[in-house]
Amino acid sequence: MVELTITRVFDAPRELVWQAWTDPVQVAQWWGPRGISTPLDKIQMDLRPGGAANLTMVDDATGEEYPNTGHYLEVVPPERLVWHDDGFADGSGAGTVTITFVDVGDKTELTVHAVADFSETVRAQAEIGWGSSFDKLAELLARPR
Amino acid sequence: MPTDQLSRTFAALADPTRRAILARLADGEATVNELAEPFPISLQAVSKHLKVLEEAGLVSRSRTAQQRPARLRPGPLADAADWLTFYRKFFEGSLDRLDEHLRNIRKGKSRG
Repeated sequence: MVELTITRVFDAPRELVWQAWTDPVQVAQWWGPRGISTPLDKIQMDLRPGGAANLTMVDDATGEEYPNTGHYLEVVPPERLVWHDDGFADGSGAGTVTITFVDVGDKTELTVHAVADFSETVRAQAEIGWGSSFDKLAELLARPR
Repeated sequence: MPTDQLSRTFAALADPTRRAILARLADGEATVNELAEPFPISLQAVSKHLKVLEEAGLVSRSRTAQQRPARLRPGPLADAADWLTFYRKFFEGSLDRLDEHLRNIRKGKSRG
């Protein structure tokens, strides 16, 4: 398992932050790093356990699309949002993302906790042996964001 | 999943001596003797570090040559690095924009 945890405090009440994460119209305004857009018509959010969580990002410069699919595991307003992420197109990096919203007065502490499983990829690579993964990493780092 | 390969990879990378050994192997394969040279530790200690790196899938060792030179096996490391790089960039970048979005909403300037 590989894990990533990011915590931020937002100067907004929890209800507002929850809405920003769960209203597709708002999600379309901020989802993705700068230079990447997530148009409303490419967002499918069925906010219930088992419901689809499909968001396709579009590179503003090249128009290239980055589809990301998954499904919700837990929807507990305004505290917790958990979804299964299908990972990269080759199937690696599938895992779970948990967003926790904590009320801190009139601010909100938000934690992103992402966990991914690479055991299948690692097994496949162990069979191949010496791979060309450094090339893959170089390619990723050279990719415009 | 405590026995997962990737957990072992990261545990292996937590040690500075092992990171130094990996850095040395990035220049090419080396024997235990060669690897031990820059460190004030015994050959046995270097062998132990190499075993951890080998179990983590980061290093492979020749089964035939008498000196059993070790070499880098970057596969598992690169995949985990890919994922961490991508997701960190994605979430940090998105949260920056979310912060702006929330400020705009509170100022009543949201276009949404």
